[in-house]
Amino acid sequence: MQAWSGKKKFFIVDIMLKSCLTFARGRGVFPSLTDILAIMIYQRPIVRKLFCSLFFLFIFSSLNKLSAQDGRALFQTNCASCHNLYKKLTGPALLGFKARGPWADQKQVRAWVHNPVAYMAKDPYTQGLKAEYGSMMQAFPNLGDKDIDAIADYIAKAPAAPGAGGAPGVTGMDPAAAAAQSNDNTLLFGILTLILAVIALILLQVNSNLRKLSDDKEGVPAAEPVPFYRNKAYIYVFTLLLFVVGGYYTIMGAIGLGRTKNYQPTQPIYYSHRVHAGKNQISCLYCHGNAQDGKHANIPSINQCMNCHIAINEYTGSAGKIYSEDGNEVNGTAEIKKIYEYAGWDPQLKKYTKPGKPVEWIKIHALPDHVYFNHSQHVTAGKVQCQTCHGPITEMDEVYQFAELSMGWCINCHRETKVQFASNKFYSIYEKFHNDLKKNPNEAITVEKIGGTECQKCHY
Amino acid sequence: MKKLLVIILIVSAAATWAGCSDVRRDRGREYMPDMAYSRAYETYDGHEDLKVKNINYNATPVAGTIKRGAMFPFPIPMDKEGDSTNYVAARQVPNPFTTLTEGQAKEAERLYLINCAICHGTALDGNGPLYNGGNGPYPAAPKNLVADPVVSVMPEGQICYSVTYGKGQMGPYASNLRTDQRWMVVKYVKMKQLEKQGGKEPSAGAPTQSQQQAASSGGNQPGGGASGDNPKASGSRTPQPNQ
Repeated sequence: MQAWSGKKKFFIVDIMLKSCLTFARGRGVFPSLTDILAIMIYQRPIVRKLFCSLFFLFIFSSLNKLSAQDGRALFQTNCASCHNLYKKLTGPALLGFKARGPWADQKQVRAWVHNPVAYMAKDPYTQGLKAEYGSMMQAFPNLGDKDIDAIADYIAKAPAAPGAGGAPGVTGMDPAAAAAQSNDNTLLFGILTLILAVIALILLQVNSNLRKLSDDKEGVPAAEPVPFYRNKAYIYVFTLLLFVVGGYYTIMGAIGLGRTKNYQPTQPIYYSHRVHAGKNQISCLYCHGNAQDGKHANIPSINQCMNCHIAINEYTGSAGKIYSEDGNEVNGTAEIKKIYEYAGWDPQLKKYTKPGKPVEWIKIHALPDHVYFNHSQHVTAGKVQCQTCHGPITEMDEVYQFAELSMGWCINCHRETKVQFASNKFYSIYEKFHNDLKKNPNEAITVEKIGGTECQKCHY
Repeated sequence: MKKLLVIILIVSAAATWAGCSDVRRDRGREYMPDMAYSRAYETYDGHEDLKVKNINYNATPVAGTIKRGAMFPFPIPMDKEGDSTNYVAARQVPNPFTTLTEGQAKEAERLYLINCAICHGTALDGNGPLYNGGNGPYPAAPKNLVADPVVSVMPEGQICYSVTYGKGQMGPYASNLRTDQRWMVVKYVKMKQLEKQGGKEPSAGAPTQSQQQAASSGGNQPGGGASGDNPKASGSRTPQPNQ
């Protein structure tokens, strides 16, 4: 090895290369496989070194990757229930834990994870942690030293901020742009109508002028030209149109009095059903569980929100940017903070510090008192989907009233909806229909046939 | 000149109409709302004025009473912060459902899918859509109910304690599920765990090592695990299903 060191080594290499190249030039070809082999044989020690280092580099990098991968999996199965890298949960955030307390020494870390109770007895730092978090870490006696090291390695190599590893933000539909587009269209149609109307007016004028000219030529005594707004025919037609169109709108407006279709109030907290029920697939009954048991589909109490939002304290844009119906972007994290305000929860101390106060949500779907409506009758007995009446709720950011909630709308659904007899004990008393259905499976028993349009079903 | 004025007026009116937001923020008007508003106090009506009218009204049931036909509540109260005596004691509470009928199992599964599966996953593997392998919005990993060494052998009473009062990052589900529904879901989880472990009945008398670890690390008191000597100790306090 020493013979190869220093200038001598470079000298010899230089000689070798030069001789090879001249050899190649002499043969008039570029170094062929044999030449390369010749170099490899002459330069065996260097090549061997090169190969060795490459081989070890490859092994090390793959091993490294393997252990980091292991560390992530181990972290998720053993630690992630109580620890997050970036957030304080049941236990402290683990990013950069090596810089805290006695953890710079990996032996201490292993001792702590294997038996926290024994370790804490003689360690003031962990006693402080217990006082701060109020709970004791679970022991992991079966976790090997290598596993603990792999986890520590994974934590040490984690990016300094969540999402830096690249969780691509989903770009949601931009309702503002969509709204602008629809507005543009209406404007366009309006302008087109206006232009057409002006053209029609001009053509009428031209027509009357031409007739006047031809009349003059033929010597017909021309009547005094009547402007179109004094023309009796036009006035008749216009009055008739006004009567029909005006009448239509008056009647529709009168019918719509007291109805609130498309009502979409601004709620005290911007709660997006699209994010919760759509993207995160939370069942409707998770929050509105009363819909299967009682008259009202309950508004969830604030502790229902806190079930998840005790841990989820920010909106990271997992379902894209969120907008209010007016087109303004909404800060999801600020909306989550509002929950804490109502719940009296202090996110820093992780404690309820104030008495909670109710969120005064604004009721959208309201039926008059003279109608009886029961959610459980429809959801449990009738097996009707929530979306039948509440529309595409999983796509709504702000909820609006989808259905008309008029009597005609109710009756229509009762006439058209087929009763679900199969595996539904509620309707077992209608045995006659049951037997009819068995005889003729194509027959449809609608809600109306079992008394669904009797007045007293809803008005009493 | 006059014509120009008319045209400008029409165009600006059209522009205003088209530029208006079509978001309906108000309820609109109503005409003669006959019998539309209840004179009785409806759900979610404020009842603060009852006190002014000198009418006694309790929003909550009288303490110590339960609904007719309902199951007795979970017999053990919640631990104070930093303490886990009751959490350990809950190991001895037996499930009033010894088995589930086919219908009950179906209902328990439905309740599990609605209330638990968003975090713990439809396969009980701790990977529901809210966690999604660490990519979901939930920052803590939900417990793998069938493979976690502690949870998969946890006694039903202790699972029910966690469901009722919450544990770690999990919130309490006492307001989501009735007592009987909670016990049914616990039984369903237990059934799935046994299925996974090959139908073996875990020995109730001798807790495994991991269970002892959980008890001692959670309780951090010498007396915590000792109650395991008498599994029937709290039997008299536990309810029977009223069905």
